[in-house]
Amino acid sequence: MNESPIWRIKYLPKSLDEISGRENIRNRLREIIQNRNFPHLLFIGSEGIGKTTLARLFAKEFLGRYYDANFKLVHADVPLTSEERSQARSDAYVSTSKIGSMAGKRITTPAFIQVKIKPFVQLKVLGDVPFKILIVKNFDALGSNQQGFRRLMEIYGSNCRMILITTKISGIIDPIVSRCQLFLVPQVDFKSFSNLIHKIADEESLKIKDKVIEVLYKISKGKLSRAIDILQVSSSQGNTIDMNTLYENTRKFENELVRSLILLSFKGKFSKAREQARKIVSDYKFSSHELFTELLKVINKLPLSIYARIKLIDMIADADFRAIDGRDDDIQISTLLAKISKYAECM
Amino acid sequence: MAQKNKMEIPWVEKYRPVSLEEMALPTAKLNRQKVDLADELKNFIKSFFKEIKTINEKNKKIKAYNRTVSEKKQKEEKKLPTEKAAVLLEGQPGIGKTSIVYALANDLNMEVVETNASDTRTRDTLEAKLKETSKSRGIMDFITESKKKLILIDEVDGIYGTKDRGAVPAIMDIIKDTQFPIILCANDYKSNLSSLYNMIKRYEVHPLSNQEVVKITESIIKKEDIKNIKKEDIELIIEKNAGDLRGVINDLQAISHGAKKDDKDTQDLIYSLHRDTTEEIFGLIRDLFQKVGTLNEARSLTNKSDVDYNFLYKWVNENLPTFINQTDERAEAYENLSIADKIFGRIRNNMEWSLLPYFFDLFAGGVAIASKNKSSGFRRVSFPRYSSSASYSLNNAEKALIKKIRKQYSISQMEALRDFLPFLRILTNISRRKLKEVTDFLDLNTKEKNLLK
Ligand SMILES: Nc1ncnc2c1ncn2[C@@H]1O[C@H](COP(=O)(O)OP(=O)(O)O)[C@@H](O)[C@H]1O
Ligand SMILES: [Mg+2]
Repeated sequence: MNESPIWRIKYLPKSLDEISGRENIRNRLREIIQNRNFPHLLFIGSEGIGKTTLARLFAKEFLGRYYDANFKLVHADVPLTSEERSQARSDAYVSTSKIGSMAGKRITTPAFIQVKIKPFVQLKVLGDVPFKILIVKNFDALGSNQQGFRRLMEIYGSNCRMILITTKISGIIDPIVSRCQLFLVPQVDFKSFSNLIHKIADEESLKIKDKVIEVLYKISKGKLSRAIDILQVSSSQGNTIDMNTLYENTRKFENELVRSLILLSFKGKFSKAREQARKIVSDYKFSSHELFTELLKVINKLPLSIYARIKLIDMIADADFRAIDGRDDDIQISTLLAKISKYAECM
Repeated sequence: MAQKNKMEIPWVEKYRPVSLEEMALPTAKLNRQKVDLADELKNFIKSFFKEIKTINEKNKKIKAYNRTVSEKKQKEEKKLPTEKAAVLLEGQPGIGKTSIVYALANDLNMEVVETNASDTRTRDTLEAKLKETSKSRGIMDFITESKKKLILIDEVDGIYGTKDRGAVPAIMDIIKDTQFPIILCANDYKSNLSSLYNMIKRYEVHPLSNQEVVKITESIIKKEDIKNIKKEDIELIIEKNAGDLRGVINDLQAISHGAKKDDKDTQDLIYSLHRDTTEEIFGLIRDLFQKVGTLNEARSLTNKSDVDYNFLYKWVNENLPTFINQTDERAEAYENLSIADKIFGRIRNNMEWSLLPYFFDLFAGGVAIASKNKSSGFRRVSFPRYSSSASYSLNNAEKALIKKIRKQYSISQMEALRDFLPFLRILTNISRRKLKEVTDFLDLNTKEKNLLK
């Protein structure tokens, strides 16, 4: 197979052993693999630190060569396609020609569970493993459908164990938390981080000092994929990665588009700003709320007086608030940009 | 000949859904709470027949008893509470209210007895048509097991004027002692109907989501094998009809006959299908920004015009920066437009049509009078280009690209879009060689490659 030209894929760990740090968790998981048994699991940890990688590799080692047939990963935050939704609708209807008390009735299972989860958990285990494994990412996004999911955990638990993944435990209902063994996935420790970076540096013949690695560790906030991305982009300027190259290249990762959107508004270049806003919204599929959140992040980083900052935050909040009722996001976004321009003019 | 006739069936009839199970159901609210309309209606029918049976049996006994006693001692016959006898579906035209009723009847194997705005609805005609149905459960009905009936009084808000005098009280009487369930449909709230509305449950029916409409449209396009309609045209049609599915389907049928290769033509055709032709809108926008100086002038301008306001305010948004380019005036104009949009949302979400005058004043007058120094001279008016519905769903190239990424690297669609793709853009920007390596690795075609720019 071709080697990936994208480092974050190239250096993806291929087994539990290859995962950096998290010794404790890995040991607990290895024990489970030995014992051939585990309850439902709940992985909690901040965004992008490797919860899914951990869970997937665990499942892979647990299921061994029966992995493909007995493993599934679903994203709770990805909306169903319209085909899937109509599938759910027709599945949920028991035909009047069927016999029994449910004939002609509608089963009120949430569509997501009906389509994405049920078919998998109902199917029997294939091969010599004690049960199947289902990973549900961003489980909190299920919202009120968690109750329905909980019944599934009970009914099909012996056939399929679930690994739920979330960034915020507060988004998960108590009955589910209480049915799971919890794993708090921490950020990778500096020592392991540094080892990994050294390994990649060796492999790619880069020179990078420990001091620089320390900075990289801080910048990437524990997101290994981000750290590797930055490293790769920096390496295009030469084999030595020093502070300067690092900073210079990190800046590319800050959402430049959003930053320049604000700067354009500051300069009163309204039409350009609106163009830019539309591009961001359509490239990233942002809702207006998400765009406003991004703007807020940038505003907080800009060197502004406290008064200006508060004023701008107030404007963003107001726009966000109006967009809840409003019908046309573009109008609310444009309004904010127009107001920022006006404010900047008298600043 | 037969071929020709077949072609001319209006598509709105040809593609009217026949079963609730197979149709996209619009969101509905009862007392501002979301409800499942299919369940609600089925339960309504079921409980109607159950309760009417009990009541009829009781009344039989009461009648028998009454025959044995003097008039003074007679008991009154029982009646079904009106909110169990009839329900109202309320919502803008063309969103599927009538279709739902027919699909429901079909699913439950019932026969629909309908009156609508095309009938003259005086007390007499209504009674002639409905009272017979609603009262008679003659002996024949039981012997022949004829289909149960469902009474549909469509477009009730179309009852008005001297012609339809007495119709509303007649409907109320019919509801009070019907032997069959009644569903009423209406577009708008009319104050002369309030006593009628107060006696029954009112379901607010909302338009289908744009995604659902796109799906329905696509399936028709497929079945009719239409080749000359582009995705942008469909989006424009949907946007223009603002929730009116009937309008969408009608436009589609018209365009399938008329569209030419050139997409400019198709777009013009879409506009010309509506009374508000492009020219009219252009003129209106120019007048609004360049001539109007007072609220009253703005009002008379929008009142005079036939242009659909659902759409007009998007034109105002698109063209505002062209006509108002002073920073503070622009901010003020936008402030008013933004409040107009917020009010419009409330109107559409809660059917608060009484707020409409504020919306008009703000999006037209409020915007126009924000500029003191009117721009003069020719300005190009542009079509609203931004469609909020289109931006949330992935286009085909994006879908294909993400699929290819996911072949190599297991991440969710959102992570791909928001985390990985931006990185790929940075990475492939470095050099042509990098770009080539990545496109080779992911096996991208030109279209997908362009997304990395
Ligand atoms: N859920 C749906 N799926 C497919 N087509 C629909 C659906 N709802 C409505 N339609 C189409 O839209 C047209 C208009 O619907 P209709 O029931 O007449 O609307 P209303 O009674 O609300 O004015 C119908 O003729 C039908 O072709
Ligand atoms: Mg109708």
